[in-house]
Amino acid sequence: MTVEVTEVHLMDVASGESVAAELWHVITEEQLADWEGEWVPELFRAMQRLRRAGVERAHWPQSRHWDWRRKVAALQGMLANPGFSIVCDGATQGMMIVDTVKHRGRLDGQQGQHLVYVEFVENAPWNRAELFDPPRYRGVGSILIRAAVALSEELEFHGRIGLHSLPQANGFYANTCGMTDLGADPDHEGLRYFEMTPEDAQAFIAKGRSK
Amino acid sequence: MKIEISKDWCLRMAQREGDAEIGAGRLAIDPVFDGERIPADVAEEESPNVAFGRFVNLMRRQRGMSLEQLADDADVDMADLVEAESDPYHRPELRTAYQLANYFKVPQAGLMQVAGLAALKDARLFDEGVRFAARSESTAELTPEEGAALEAFVAVLSEQK
Amino acid sequence: MAAKRTMTLNLTEAEMAVLEALSEKRELSKTALLRQALRMYQVIEARLESGNKLFFENEATKEKVEVMML
Repeated sequence: MTVEVTEVHLMDVASGESVAAELWHVITEEQLADWEGEWVPELFRAMQRLRRAGVERAHWPQSRHWDWRRKVAALQGMLANPGFSIVCDGATQGMMIVDTVKHRGRLDGQQGQHLVYVEFVENAPWNRAELFDPPRYRGVGSILIRAAVALSEELEFHGRIGLHSLPQANGFYANTCGMTDLGADPDHEGLRYFEMTPEDAQAFIAKGRSK
Repeated sequence: MKIEISKDWCLRMAQREGDAEIGAGRLAIDPVFDGERIPADVAEEESPNVAFGRFVNLMRRQRGMSLEQLADDADVDMADLVEAESDPYHRPELRTAYQLANYFKVPQAGLMQVAGLAALKDARLFDEGVRFAARSESTAELTPEEGAALEAFVAVLSEQK
Repeated sequence: MAAKRTMTLNLTEAEMAVLEALSEKRELSKTALLRQALRMYQVIEARLESGNKLFFENEATKEKVEVMML
């Protein structure tokens, strides 16, 4: 299997410098091995620190029970569910699975139009400021969302994307990505639904071009 | 899919992104077992199951932990844990068995079978479970015999893939 | 995406009319629409094979209508 790869860069938080990284247009066994061998133990240790620090369970990361191996296995071979991952420094730094079929636009003017729905996106534990101080790399979220937008354009969905954000990530999708918040969705555990229009997608890409 | 993302773009966006959390995904609260059901023939069976409760009990005491500590450390529901240890008719939540397998570092598939949450693939596991339950007795201190019984059972469990 | 292969598709006038109307409505080229249709078809097949039924739900009344799969 040839893995399609795009060169990208992450910001090393400690040095403030950029480091070369790769956006893989797939999630491979390598990523799943990283998830099991690196992410899960780190997440577990981070959870123990939160517990000792007396942080309430409600504030622990909600993605702590996600099983990426199971997710990938369930969607194996499905054309509608490509995965993406970011690799840097020999390790998986973030993963995303999208769905290109089961969701349509909800915003006024976009209703019924196709979009790329982000099923799951997660940062490696060591890139998460709420778990690691200081975190290792910044920029994983923006690159993965950029990939979702690029796929949406490739499929002629004009950059439209949608997702249900975890509560702590609402700010990222509203502010950094400039998506529209359509409010809490009772059909999805009350998570807030965010959508990006073709115009928002252009604005999101332009954001990284202007100072 | 051709996509070009310049270094400048990445760095500007990394700055904007800052320390923001980025997690997204429905079924976020506990999606590990979404769509997965306990097989009907397993779920309906009402036979007592001593081995799972005893196993958890001994593993916990071997570590000198209270029920509360274990529930917290393994991130499982305390009520489910208490019932699993004390009631042989109680069938633990799938997630509880999964978390405990991870926590005790024993194969999930084996522990799921012992917990009665998956169809028994290896009959020997049932026999060994019964033998283990018979050998180990619930008292405050872990006796050397209990320790040995526990070790022997973990060895069998670890052979399960 | 990996290297692509080309195929010729013969459609009746009625089929072509539907394809054109749908692609205009959904702002897709005919190729993009047919590729989307293939992805959708695969999802439906996978769901049916795993024993699920396909329903449409009326958003207002919550009434469910089963889509007949013959």
